[in-house]
Amino acid sequence: MDPLLQESVLEKAGSIVRRVGSFLKMASYYDIDDILVEEQQRVPVVFQQAVNGVDIDPSAETHCVEPGSKVELPYWLAHELHLRKVAKMKVPACFNQRTKLELGADGASVDLRSRCLYFYEFGCKIAPLVGDRDMGSFLLSAFRTRYQKILAKAHNAAFTAHSKLLSYLTKEETNLYEAAQSSMAAFKKWRIGGPRFERASVLGRKRKEAN
Amino acid sequence: MAGQSDPNVSIFSGEEVEFMAEDEMVEIVPNMRMEPLNMLCGDFGPFYPQMATQVPMWLAIALKKRGKCTIRPPEWMSVENLTQILEAERESQAAFQVLPFHYVEISSLLFDYASGDISDLYMVRSLINDIRDARFLKVESSLESFEDARSSAVKVKNLSAMEVNVVRPFVGRALQSFYKHGSPDLVPNPEAMSARRSQATDNIQRRTLRRR
Repeated sequence: MDPLLQESVLEKAGSIVRRVGSFLKMASYYDIDDILVEEQQRVPVVFQQAVNGVDIDPSAETHCVEPGSKVELPYWLAHELHLRKVAKMKVPACFNQRTKLELGADGASVDLRSRCLYFYEFGCKIAPLVGDRDMGSFLLSAFRTRYQKILAKAHNAAFTAHSKLLSYLTKEETNLYEAAQSSMAAFKKWRIGGPRFERASVLGRKRKEAN
Repeated sequence: MAGQSDPNVSIFSGEEVEFMAEDEMVEIVPNMRMEPLNMLCGDFGPFYPQMATQVPMWLAIALKKRGKCTIRPPEWMSVENLTQILEAERESQAAFQVLPFHYVEISSLLFDYASGDISDLYMVRSLINDIRDARFLKVESSLESFEDARSSAVKVKNLSAMEVNVVRPFVGRALQSFYKHGSPDLVPNPEAMSARRSQATDNIQRRTLRRR
């Protein structure tokens, strides 16, 4: 196996090292979403160097990867290969021009969930690597338009009424929506009341008469 | 607690906010004679029949439950004042009227425990419900406008404890996201980054060597 690739795979296996590394990069160590972003999201890469002893395509005749071959790899592997200049990252499909145009036209009704569940987190991770300087402002403006729609729906409606909206939202937006829903539900529960303390049955009867 | 997966964004439950509201002072008229109560949070009393005195809400409720006093509703809970506030709330779309910080909780506690002491109970209750609903709609619309500003901040004055508490998890998360995506160092200088990175890999290699 190519020593460079081996090293990066070993680093993945010793995931503690990697997580500490990303912890230093201000991601949170225990954030399951942060782990899942790196696991699930695939990034197209173009190999810059030949790599021996790996089977990326099972039907390939040789156990090596030619320079210039295009493969989709999970983010964690693509990231390491990119930094070691073995492979070069391309912009993933969910950040292509078409998505950008759609989000610019009507951000609130674009189905981001099916494109990339961790749209914003992934965008933040990928931006410095593919050298996209507009990514930050693009993500921000997309989030702004979508935020307004979530705000309008989140605090006032029954959960089921917006299953269509929910099916469009990314993970981060869903968290936002659910936070609003649960706090509103908690407030309503408090307002309707119910027993404040455990009351003796005698006192309970007395209060009903008063009402 | 309203099941937060993220421990950084905490929320008080309605009961907890109500608990804090119980420290607000309220005027009671006792119908018994009692020595002053010396509490950690202060001295209350002495209590004489028909002599009004100031006590915290929790003490007032405890006495009321035992039938030892009547609670005087606070001045802002009069029908005239509430009608005025409701009109003002409906008139201006941006500004919030000045109400006690715990008005939702105090009124709800009084309705539950001292409904007999409030004159025009139904009127007051529906006025307060209307004010609360009107204000909450305004909270939402004012939150809508804040992402237009360059800075990710919104200035909303005179919010009450319960209103803040309801929007806290949402706003907290939203602001975090705005901050994250709006921060200018999202795209750092590539050279500086690769330099830092190669340094880091050097460190790792050195460490493994030493271990062998």
